[in-house]
Amino acid sequence: MGHSAMSVGAPHGFPVEESPYGIKSKKLAMWLFIIADASTFGAILFAYGFLRLANPDWTRPFAFSPTIVNGIVMTVVLLTSSLTMVAAVAAAHARRQATALRWLGATMFLGLLFAALHLKEWFAMFGEGWRLFRNPLGGSPLFGATFFGVTGLHLLHVICGVIVIGAIAAGFRRGRFDADHVETTSLYWHFVDLVWMFVFPLVYLMNVR
Amino acid sequence: MTATTAGRAPTMRLYVLVWIGLILIVGIEVFLTYERLAAGTLLACLLALALVEAALAVMYFMHLKYERPALFWSLIPYLIFALLMMDHFWPDALRLMRQRLPGG
Repeated sequence: MGHSAMSVGAPHGFPVEESPYGIKSKKLAMWLFIIADASTFGAILFAYGFLRLANPDWTRPFAFSPTIVNGIVMTVVLLTSSLTMVAAVAAAHARRQATALRWLGATMFLGLLFAALHLKEWFAMFGEGWRLFRNPLGGSPLFGATFFGVTGLHLLHVICGVIVIGAIAAGFRRGRFDADHVETTSLYWHFVDLVWMFVFPLVYLMNVR
Repeated sequence: MTATTAGRAPTMRLYVLVWIGLILIVGIEVFLTYERLAAGTLLACLLALALVEAALAVMYFMHLKYERPALFWSLIPYLIFALLMMDHFWPDALRLMRQRLPGG
């Protein structure tokens, strides 16, 4: 390793090798987590696809209103939360702390709104008799298992994201975290948004009546 | 900001344009769903549109376009390879489908 690629920044003056990607380790760690999590969601969506294809009597229960309309609203809410998140990152890097905190608050609000809309839909389905392994329409009981499994895992990610954004915002406000922390958190939030871009068409739109 | 070290900082205008593009793609997906396409055709269209959406989100919102190319080439081909390796079980799903279809 050439001397130019080393810098002295660590405690005790030990030389530190420059990142080959030009990013901080926490950001690289987040990217690695995202790739691993994308494989997880990929596997669960492939399993859903297998079960759907292998069951010709697969139930297609979703009406345009309320389910698909609700799904469209949820999608717009989540996409908008990605926009507020990039605004928060831009403001944090521009050292406009109050503005960044407002955008982070808006992102959390939209994340909670998404979760509330999702839970409203779930409870409506529970009211119709849907359960994890019960199909009130008489088709494959695996519909409930895959639907609640896929959307539940995504919802868990959304709720975790809201909590993490809240913790990062609190630390950023106190000066404990910097703009790089906000940017690293934004990667996770955009990933959650990205997963929904596959869940909505595959789990909702492919199951309309 | 590591994403802007190359001096090509994405602007809020660009982010808003990407957001509008993503909303439009969702609208196209819903429109196609109610166009009574064959299930296979609809699935192919929805997957293609979802991949475009994902690419826009990764490249712009997640700033991968503005990072060093080494990051892209270290992460994305691996993910594509992993997802392709999951494709081995489709023939079995088709076999089960044919077994369960009337007269299959």
